[in-house]
Amino acid sequence: MKNIIVIALLLVVGFYLVDSFNYIKFGDNRLGAPSDEKTVGAYYLNNTVEKTGVANVITAIIVNYRGFDTLGEVTVLFLATTGLGSILYRRRKEGEHEERVTKESSYLLQTGSKILFPFVILLGIYVFIHGHLTPGGGFQGGAIVATGFLLMLIAYKNFKLGHNQLTWVESLAGITFVSIGMWGLITGGTFLENSFIPKGTLNSLFSGGIIPIIYIAVGFKVAAELTGVLDILLSIKPSKIKK
Amino acid sequence: MDFGQYQNIVTISVYGSAIALILIGLYAVLIKKNLIKIVIGLSLADAGIHLLFVAIGYLKGGTAPIFSPSVVGENVTMVDPVPQALVLTAIVIGFAVTAVALSLVIRLYKHHNTARIDQIKSLKW
Amino acid sequence: MVISPVHYIAVPLLAAFVIPLFAKLNREFVRIIPGIVLLYLSYVSIVLMNQVSSTGTISEVLAGWAPPFGINLVFSAFSGFLASLMTFMGLVIWIYSYRFKKIDDEPALKFYVLFLMLITGAIGIVLTGDIFNLFVFLEIVGISAYSLTSFYRNRDGAEAGFKYLLLGAFASTLILLGIILLYSSIGTLNMADIAQKSHLIPTSLKVSIFILFVVGFGIEAEMFPLNGWAPDAYSQAPGPVGAAFSGIAVKAGMYVIIRLIYTLFDIEGSFQFLIVMGLITTIIAEVSAMKQTNLKRMLAYSSIGQMGIVMVAFGIGTREAIIAGLFLMLNHAIIKGLLFLSSSYLVYNDDNKLISSLSGLGKRLPLVSFLFALGAFAIVGLPPFSGFWSRLYLLLAAADKELIYLIAIILIIAVIEIVYYFRVINKLYFKDIKVKSDDVQKPSINAVISMSILGILIIAIGIYPDLVTSYLGNAADALLDKAGYIENVLVDINN
Repeated sequence: MKNIIVIALLLVVGFYLVDSFNYIKFGDNRLGAPSDEKTVGAYYLNNTVEKTGVANVITAIIVNYRGFDTLGEVTVLFLATTGLGSILYRRRKEGEHEERVTKESSYLLQTGSKILFPFVILLGIYVFIHGHLTPGGGFQGGAIVATGFLLMLIAYKNFKLGHNQLTWVESLAGITFVSIGMWGLITGGTFLENSFIPKGTLNSLFSGGIIPIIYIAVGFKVAAELTGVLDILLSIKPSKIKK
Repeated sequence: MDFGQYQNIVTISVYGSAIALILIGLYAVLIKKNLIKIVIGLSLADAGIHLLFVAIGYLKGGTAPIFSPSVVGENVTMVDPVPQALVLTAIVIGFAVTAVALSLVIRLYKHHNTARIDQIKSLKW
Repeated sequence: MVISPVHYIAVPLLAAFVIPLFAKLNREFVRIIPGIVLLYLSYVSIVLMNQVSSTGTISEVLAGWAPPFGINLVFSAFSGFLASLMTFMGLVIWIYSYRFKKIDDEPALKFYVLFLMLITGAIGIVLTGDIFNLFVFLEIVGISAYSLTSFYRNRDGAEAGFKYLLLGAFASTLILLGIILLYSSIGTLNMADIAQKSHLIPTSLKVSIFILFVVGFGIEAEMFPLNGWAPDAYSQAPGPVGAAFSGIAVKAGMYVIIRLIYTLFDIEGSFQFLIVMGLITTIIAEVSAMKQTNLKRMLAYSSIGQMGIVMVAFGIGTREAIIAGLFLMLNHAIIKGLLFLSSSYLVYNDDNKLISSLSGLGKRLPLVSFLFALGAFAIVGLPPFSGFWSRLYLLLAAADKELIYLIAIILIIAVIEIVYYFRVINKLYFKDIKVKSDDVQKPSINAVISMSILGILIIAIGIYPDLVTSYLGNAADALLDKAGYIENVLVDINN
């Protein structure tokens, strides 16, 4: 009975959604002509290269035009790690160590992971350093780095992460982000203003002023936080139920 | 890409699949009793939203909004970059919510020895 | 460095990132840094409020991009009033929770970081001028709130937190859908720009977007029937967190609904809709509050009822009604804050937090009981406490619009509130003592200070309501001045 009510309800919601999207044809040009910009997206496409010196418009939006969003986003991730730490906190007894829930894996998987690990990290770092030139950036690169650590966490039951180092990376990256923003406030008058580092030439590694610096900081922060989340979720003892 | 006579079919299939994902996700949240399945439902609904975001930014024949050396100076159409930037934020937030949800599931499981919502009823639902 | 609204966000974020590092030097930093930050923000509030009353709304551009291309913060008399109120409540609750946790414990660090971010997120919601940025701040509030709700391990915190999370995630799905529809129809995310262009959206689409937003933010604002999370979250969360929810987080949700109706969308009937929703919310909540045996749940339902009355006030829509609504919000923050903070001590040793366990505590905990009674008298609207004036203004505003049925309902609700609050006071003072004297938890000195601040404020505003009414008048003018809001934000575009 409950099933039927829920399905009916969802169908009504679905109908209204489909109806709403009737106004919005897929693939239509909603940007407007260059002289008559209809969305903010069109403004970004027409002005980003000239005004920020960054080739990847999405990166420019994420780090500069809507950089404040990204600051909030990084904070959300930071809060997720903090919240996870407080929700799953377990007072450890004397001499007791965290144990991982995974099983010991085969020799093949262990060796394979060990060989792959540095390359995965390298790829991740490449992705976030070139965030302003190619598709990708801090979040994507950070996620790739975290998968590298996930590989190691799964393959080696006793793979230890330095919690101290994670905290340091996380905090320093966050501090860098906010400090750059504050520096913009002091020198340029607005928070996160991209004015105190030269913009460089388009499509070279050193271009875009503060944009690549912030994105690299974001990359480190995301990598540390995702790794922290994975580590917390993986290192819980299966509680007494097992007996 | 020009869809020509298939315009309507493409529109319906792209939006339809995204909306279907959202509805399936909400269905799982409302009906399923297993906490993990509920969390999966949340992620599914999120995925549908992300798909919609990317879909509204699409432009017929548009390329990625990156002015790489091969594109500079050429007259190319690019897709709207804003929805892509927003979807990145939405994905990260979705990840954070899922992580917190999973940790709560772990705690509920430890506390009650079950992951079924109908057997966890210390509070009224 | 010139003081500007962005300090409200940037300074606490910097502090949150710094706290884990400083904690390695000395654990004391964990609880001192949030206090310093909140003190500094109070100073910022005073400076900016003075600036606003002399020069008008401050619209701060971020990252050097004028709106609608960049994100902006709007510190008007209205949003500034709410931001200052939140900062003040944050400071008081911080004083209360100074000795809340043993500082060498790992969760203490998490508690203070999450608490600071809850306040920052709520202030961000109030100040931001961009709808997507608002969503990001809503998630900051959300994630800290879920974690704080399930902070205690020994109770049903995880269950309350999970319930809250489910509703919150549902809300964010709806809000994102609304943002998608909005962006694809007018191509902008800036709130002033949306207000300017909202007449371009086809009406049926506009109504869908409006409903998606109202349902999404209504969950945070405790609007019926989306408030299922509130009683559980309030009763399971640590005491100071309950006060923070009712004083800070809920206000932010209410702010968004007000903004949606007054500034963003011009939809016929939305004011009446707000009155009806407010009435339903408040009637159901107050009747449920009567039936509660758990003190914290009773307070939670009473809190929902109060937010319903705030909705009614904003639904009337005249200048006087807005002043009454803002006054109600202010009173709700300080009085409910006091009630939540003092009730934590009253039911300290009772896991079920039953009202019946309060029997005779008035003699064991004289100060806490007195403050609770003060709060109870104030919230039901007895003179000469501050609650009286806000109720009076609301009744006068309703009388101006000749809404007789509203006056009747508000008075009936006041009677219901008197019944269930006086039941508690009766238990406190006129029943035999049941608990032994060493069973009660004596309040710590910092808790006494913070509760006294709130108590003195309640009496002071009660005797001199003019202390706040001039600010409230400015705030009401700022909210009603939609054209001024748009002009202030989009100054570069339109000229």
